[in-house]
Amino acid sequence: MLIEDEAELAMSIQSYLMDKDFVCEWANNTKDAIAKISIYDYDCILLDLMLQDGNGFDVLKELKYQQKSEGVIIISAKETLETRLEGFNLGADDYLTKPFHLSELLVRVQALIRRKNFKGSNVVAFHEIYVDLLSKTVKVNNSVIDCTKKEIDLLLYLIGNENRVLSKSAIAEHLSGDMADMLDNHDFVYAHIKNLKKKLSDGGSRDYIKSVYGLGYKWKNE
Amino acid sequence: MNKKLLHKTSRAYLLYSVLILMISAPIFYYATQRLYINEADDTLLLHKNEFLQYSISSLKQKDIPTWNSFNRNVKIDSGHKVVRDSVFFSNYYDTLDAETEPYRELNFPISIQGKPYTYSDRINLVESEDLLKSIAFLFLAVIVILLLGLFLITKKLSQDLWKPFYKTLELMESFEIDKTRQPAFYKTDIEEFNRLNDSIEKLIDKNTTIYKSQQEFIENAAHELQTPLAVFQAKIDTLMQRTDVTMEQSEILGALNENVFRLNRLNKNLLLLSKIEHDSYSDQQIISLTSSVQKNLEFFTEQAKPKNLMITTDFKEDLLIKSNPVLAEILIGNLFLNAIKHNIEGGQVVIAIKENKMMFSNSGPSRPLNPDKLFTRFSKTNASEQGTGLGLSIIKKIADINHWNLSYYYQNNLHCFDISF
Repeated sequence: MLIEDEAELAMSIQSYLMDKDFVCEWANNTKDAIAKISIYDYDCILLDLMLQDGNGFDVLKELKYQQKSEGVIIISAKETLETRLEGFNLGADDYLTKPFHLSELLVRVQALIRRKNFKGSNVVAFHEIYVDLLSKTVKVNNSVIDCTKKEIDLLLYLIGNENRVLSKSAIAEHLSGDMADMLDNHDFVYAHIKNLKKKLSDGGSRDYIKSVYGLGYKWKNE
Repeated sequence: MNKKLLHKTSRAYLLYSVLILMISAPIFYYATQRLYINEADDTLLLHKNEFLQYSISSLKQKDIPTWNSFNRNVKIDSGHKVVRDSVFFSNYYDTLDAETEPYRELNFPISIQGKPYTYSDRINLVESEDLLKSIAFLFLAVIVILLLGLFLITKKLSQDLWKPFYKTLELMESFEIDKTRQPAFYKTDIEEFNRLNDSIEKLIDKNTTIYKSQQEFIENAAHELQTPLAVFQAKIDTLMQRTDVTMEQSEILGALNENVFRLNRLNKNLLLLSKIEHDSYSDQQIISLTSSVQKNLEFFTEQAKPKNLMITTDFKEDLLIKSNPVLAEILIGNLFLNAIKHNIEGGQVVIAIKENKMMFSNSGPSRPLNPDKLFTRFSKTNASEQGTGLGLSIIKKIADINHWNLSYYYQNNLHCFDISF
């Protein structure tokens, strides 16, 4: 469920997630959100903090009060250490500062759901590629290929956004985390893509990474 | 050259006193000399009158040699040398002192037992020289005492009088507009200083209010921009997924995406700057600088790859600093990226930590940058640059609030940014 009062943004998020076969409901105020939470169980809640009729933290408190275990990702324009900490203390699982790339939001949702449904193993599989998130290993056709942490991160990001065009800046932001705001050059993305491509093809995988003219890259399921 | 207020007033006083004393000294000298001579003349006349009244009637001609042999200063010579009283200066050889000495002499004609004689009385003026010497010495002493006194009095007076002024000055010197603390001026019993303090207080109040509202404006503007930016970003992301975009359209889309990213970054950095100013990062920890640099080294080596830069570290010792960890990370990150961004193909970056200092040096354009403009917001050496123009001002701001000294210099073809803790 998405709790967000900015309609335009909500619509974009909704359509991006729905294309990925998620069912995404939308509430634009805390009252509706709390009403929905009481009735349904969601896999994941995307929560904006500044809502017209109150603070997003109220929703978190309500979840806690109802002893619900929904995964919550806070999406907010507010970016201070205090709000972050308060969010996590109230049971949020992740925090994403606005503005963000939809592709970034998607992989965070996927990761959260994976963690929640975690049953002894945590893997992402795509045809012949098999990524074990616990041991941080990548296998192609059952043989391990040697990838760096960054490359695994990139691979998961690409697979998670299967058939989506990912801009160089979105990838750069995903890979550089907190440092992203300082970067003004995304040339390093190219090097990572090149290395990953090479390692995958050396391992015998098909080439799924396509570059998209003028925009960036795409993980294409052929 | 700048002089202290005290020096200026003291100098005027001093000059005036010296001038007056210089003029008055000769006048005083001549006046005293005249007085002395007048006194000598009066004494001579008195002697004469005494002589005429008491001595002349009983004086006989045969006594004159005896008179002359017993009186050194009063002589009676035979014959009329003068016709009437005459007073003049004369010099005589003094056998006692073995030198010629000046005298004031009175001659007048007398007759003793019908015979003409000349009465001659003289007074040694030598004592007057001593007197003048004493006067000169006295004057000198007066000058010294007067000046010393004047100096001490003005010093003491101005110290007391100007005390509130210096206090105000001190407060103003330590005042920083970005700190919340308002200076507290002391009340004095001097109207002018109270007026000064009042007007400064008003000025500070007004400026602080303007400064605050400006800061709030930047922060609010940056905050308000975040939501539309998020929508913008999301829409571009959605548009990018369309399969029917032409090559031309995708180029436009790519440019839009790049620029919304830049806008985004600019906005976040502005927010960061105002947050630093607001002391949002006040909690401090002890941080090891070497490990902070080391931790990020891999990331930045990656960033440096497209330019084939060589990054070398030169850590003489570990440096522990007390700072907010987020800010320390931002500082190091910005210094690193600055060194990479303004570098040349195949250049180098050197990070050195030693003796309370951290130094980032990088190769780059072979001319020193203007250090005055370097750290101001949005000052770019190259207008076409992709940067936000905020990196160095963020570095400066972080250094400032932690009271670290940030300096830039160009040395051995390297641009060096130096922070001493």
